[in-house]
Amino acid sequence: MKIPILKLHDCLLISIQWELDDETALQFQEDLLNKIYQTNARGVVIDLTSVDIIDSFIAKVLGDVVHMSKLMGAQVVLTGIQPAVAITLIELGIKLNDVHTALDLEKGLKKIKMELGE
Amino acid sequence: MDKKIANYIKTHKELILSRWKSEMKEQGDERFVRVVSNRVFDGASQQFIDLIVSNLMESNEEFSQRLHKFAENVVHIGWPLNFVTQGIRKFNEIIFHGMSEEGVVTRENYMEFTEGFDKWFGPMNDEILSTYTSTWERTVTLQKIALKELSAQLIPVFEGISVMPLIGTIDTERAKQIMENLLHGVVKHRSEVVLIDITGVPIIDTMIAHHLIQAAESVRLVGAKCMLVGIRPEIAQTIVTLGINLDSLITKNTLQAGIEAALEMTNRKIVGVEVES
Amino acid sequence: MTRSFVNIINEWDIVAARQLCREFAKELGFGIVDQARITTAVSELARNIFLYANQGIIIVEKIEKDGSVGLIIIAEDHGPGIGNLAKAMEDGYSTSGGLGAGLPGVKRLMDDFSIDSEVGKGTVIKTAKWLR
Repeated sequence: MKIPILKLHDCLLISIQWELDDETALQFQEDLLNKIYQTNARGVVIDLTSVDIIDSFIAKVLGDVVHMSKLMGAQVVLTGIQPAVAITLIELGIKLNDVHTALDLEKGLKKIKMELGE
Repeated sequence: MDKKIANYIKTHKELILSRWKSEMKEQGDERFVRVVSNRVFDGASQQFIDLIVSNLMESNEEFSQRLHKFAENVVHIGWPLNFVTQGIRKFNEIIFHGMSEEGVVTRENYMEFTEGFDKWFGPMNDEILSTYTSTWERTVTLQKIALKELSAQLIPVFEGISVMPLIGTIDTERAKQIMENLLHGVVKHRSEVVLIDITGVPIIDTMIAHHLIQAAESVRLVGAKCMLVGIRPEIAQTIVTLGINLDSLITKNTLQAGIEAALEMTNRKIVGVEVES
Repeated sequence: MTRSFVNIINEWDIVAARQLCREFAKELGFGIVDQARITTAVSELARNIFLYANQGIIIVEKIEKDGSVGLIIIAEDHGPGIGNLAKAMEDGYSTSGGLGAGLPGVKRLMDDFSIDSEVGKGTVIKTAKWLR
């Protein structure tokens, strides 16, 4: 199953709607980077509101995709991380230190606009 | 034989009671006897002996049910457990002694009597012990619930700004509860900045600091910022002395300073309104 | 339902294992945060089996002790075993290039944790969580 990536002006929007398995996560990483390359997107918002588990592997894939996007000139914001997921990640020892976060899609977009100086 | 014991108690009740009281005062828990007045002690002793006697004398029917009631009544008197078990043993000894003195217990029926006593006092002891334990367990559970109710709630103060006041000592379990309340509150109230106010926390040790840092990191993951306010001088001292690194947290000495900083972070400020005189 | 299991043979079984354990935890009455903790721990354990031992089994079981109810997760494989247990329990240690959160992370997410491993024979990890 492919995760749909939407384009809005110079931003890409992704809403992950189901439980991620390893393969889907890796496929998503590849798709997103290709899309950034095709569209010259400068911002990416990944909404995780519907995700109720992130283990160390998925966290690594997400962290990696943030760094890779940055290398390609796109700023990434993760939004809607659920409280239970946040607590679990921190207890696991995963801090996602240099990743930007926001409460929801709307605030995430606002944050990107600010980061891009718009 | 049961009847013999019961008869002896019935006819010698006063003697047993006075002996028991004096022995309990003498050897009992001195600290305990001293704090209760003589009258209270006499009253409770009378009650205690009555309970044992009625337990012994009444028919054998529904023995366990009566025993349970007896134990509950003993617990109700409020004596320390060791005092109660000692009291039962003493009572046992006095009767046995008295009956030997009067020649009711002889060398020949000695074994029989010992068994008879065991049959009464054994279950009595067991029941009292278990009643005491369950009373304590109930108390502990109630206190745990009470403590849980103390667990903090997140209070929205301005749009996007919330405060969580913490009061009292924090243990691991409470820290986890606080973290959950904090995060769910942040999402529910859509807070951009949350202030954790530790004015009411008596001490901050490494464990509590660790939980506060974890809370702040989790808050960041859900997409908000976390600030620690209400840091008193002695708290600042312990934090540095213990070598706790709170660099990942924004800290302020008072809630007021924190709110001002939070407003600034969300591009707002409080201004005075000029009033025409 | 007091005991269930999932055989870990391919990558998809990791998802199956965590779905099973989440349902199990939910049914026992665990809160949403504890459900996430348990599910994540299972995910880590199942992935370890898949990565290092190729195959194994994840068992979840209801447990009771002193009036408390909880669940235990048993992750068992007949893989290569862990050579240096102390090292494997250190934060940041990983031989797979992951984030190294693995076992110490699982220990933090759960209440009780024990590991038994022998090189060449396999590994058994038992970890429990109690209802608060």
